[in-house]
Amino acid sequence: MNGVINIDLWRLALALVFSLLAGGCSLALKLGLGRDIAIGTVRTIAQLFLMGWVLGIVFAVESPWLVLALFLAMAGAAAHTARGRVSEKAVHFAWPMYASMATVYLLVTITVTGAIVHAEPWWKPQYFLPIGGMVLGNSMNSVAVALDRLFSDLRARAASVEMQLCLGADAAEASADITRTAIRAGMIPSINSMMAVGLVSIPGMMTGQILGGSDPSQAIRYQIVVMLMIVGATALGSTLLTLIIRRRCFAPGDRPLLR
Amino acid sequence: MAHLALVSVSFAHAGNPACPGPGRAILDGASLQVPRGAFVLLTGPSGAGKSTLLRLFCRLEEPQTGQVLLDGQPVSALPPAQLRRRVSYLQQTPTVIPGSVRENLLLPFTFKAASGQTPPDDDALKELLASLAASDIPLDQEAATLSVGQRQRLCLVRALLTRPEVLLLDEPTSALDPESARAVLCAAESFCLEGGGTVILVSHAEFTPERVTPVPYTLCCGQLSGGQLSAGRLP
Repeated sequence: MNGVINIDLWRLALALVFSLLAGGCSLALKLGLGRDIAIGTVRTIAQLFLMGWVLGIVFAVESPWLVLALFLAMAGAAAHTARGRVSEKAVHFAWPMYASMATVYLLVTITVTGAIVHAEPWWKPQYFLPIGGMVLGNSMNSVAVALDRLFSDLRARAASVEMQLCLGADAAEASADITRTAIRAGMIPSINSMMAVGLVSIPGMMTGQILGGSDPSQAIRYQIVVMLMIVGATALGSTLLTLIIRRRCFAPGDRPLLR
Repeated sequence: MAHLALVSVSFAHAGNPACPGPGRAILDGASLQVPRGAFVLLTGPSGAGKSTLLRLFCRLEEPQTGQVLLDGQPVSALPPAQLRRRVSYLQQTPTVIPGSVRENLLLPFTFKAASGQTPPDDDALKELLASLAASDIPLDQEAATLSVGQRQRLCLVRALLTRPEVLLLDEPTSALDPESARAVLCAAESFCLEGGGTVILVSHAEFTPERVTPVPYTLCCGQLSGGQLSAGRLP
């Protein structure tokens, strides 16, 4: 296997052609997406250069505390992004969301690097941060979907929740169906991606390893671990967060806050 | 001791369309005592807060000041599920869950608050439905396919199955045909006369009871008047 082919800055700049192409479509068809495409392009370049620079430092320093701090910062960014995708403002859930996401995904990542990959040490940044990043990135979407569904269903089905409370249900019983639906909604995309993996596309981690010169038979093993890890993490994350935040949708005395 | 009482209760939520201007309170230091077995008829303009008043009794709303009492005990001191089985609130729009009439009627028995209670069998359910002139409703029928009148009767039977002490009826006949309305009101009267329960019935329509003498109250612009009310303090 050959090593990875380096992309120099001039050839990287050539990739901007694709952004210009997308901008041209927007302009020609009056899609109104020109500004978003421009901002997205600049952010992609800036964020990834920043990430590359930070990872370079973290790989060089090799400190578990630095790895942990970077992971928690990534979890904060994921929680902030997921929070932004949920439109509900009446329920405060930013801190429980961050705490749950950081805890659950940290545990999942440690399990993968320590018990499955057998990285030495378990926090070895070359393994811990990319795997943690994949857990966070995928689970962030599932959490946002689950919470958005939870809030919108609690509002849409407020009369049914209230009716069950009036018949002696507690908050958990009155919102049990809604909670189940929300958790399902959060989990379905990662389950669906398991069905299509390897048929529709070569997934990200595997692509990276193959481009980096790894043996495909090893690359698929990593990808299998990643896919299963993502399903487990999304299940854990969306279940735990939905259950925690569901409690915050009711005031003391099991009074629904969303109507 | 009153069965239900409000003691200097104030409650407001943003925007009360019935009372434009600075006074937007639903209740403004109101007090009320309802003896056990009373049949209270609560009237008032739309948006005055009649439903909110009922919701205060079953703690779906919390007063900003004052106390809501059940048998002299603050409702906030009771476990919510236990309170709501004693004080049953029937929503204005009858709400059913997906499933059969039987599943809907037995819903209260699926909750932890009913643990140890034996659900009634089909014969008992049919008998109860018949007492509300609803014997035409098959237990296997999907509840969502029932008419509004049938659903309202189903909801009343379901509420009665929890054996409440108090029935809070929020405009229970507003969308019903005369036959269904008569059946619902007759059941409420029976609950009061034969069961010894307390009823608070909200209505903005005329109500001519056949067997009970209702205690009338009116709620308007934050003030309760009528009955044995002493606004702002207990009699």
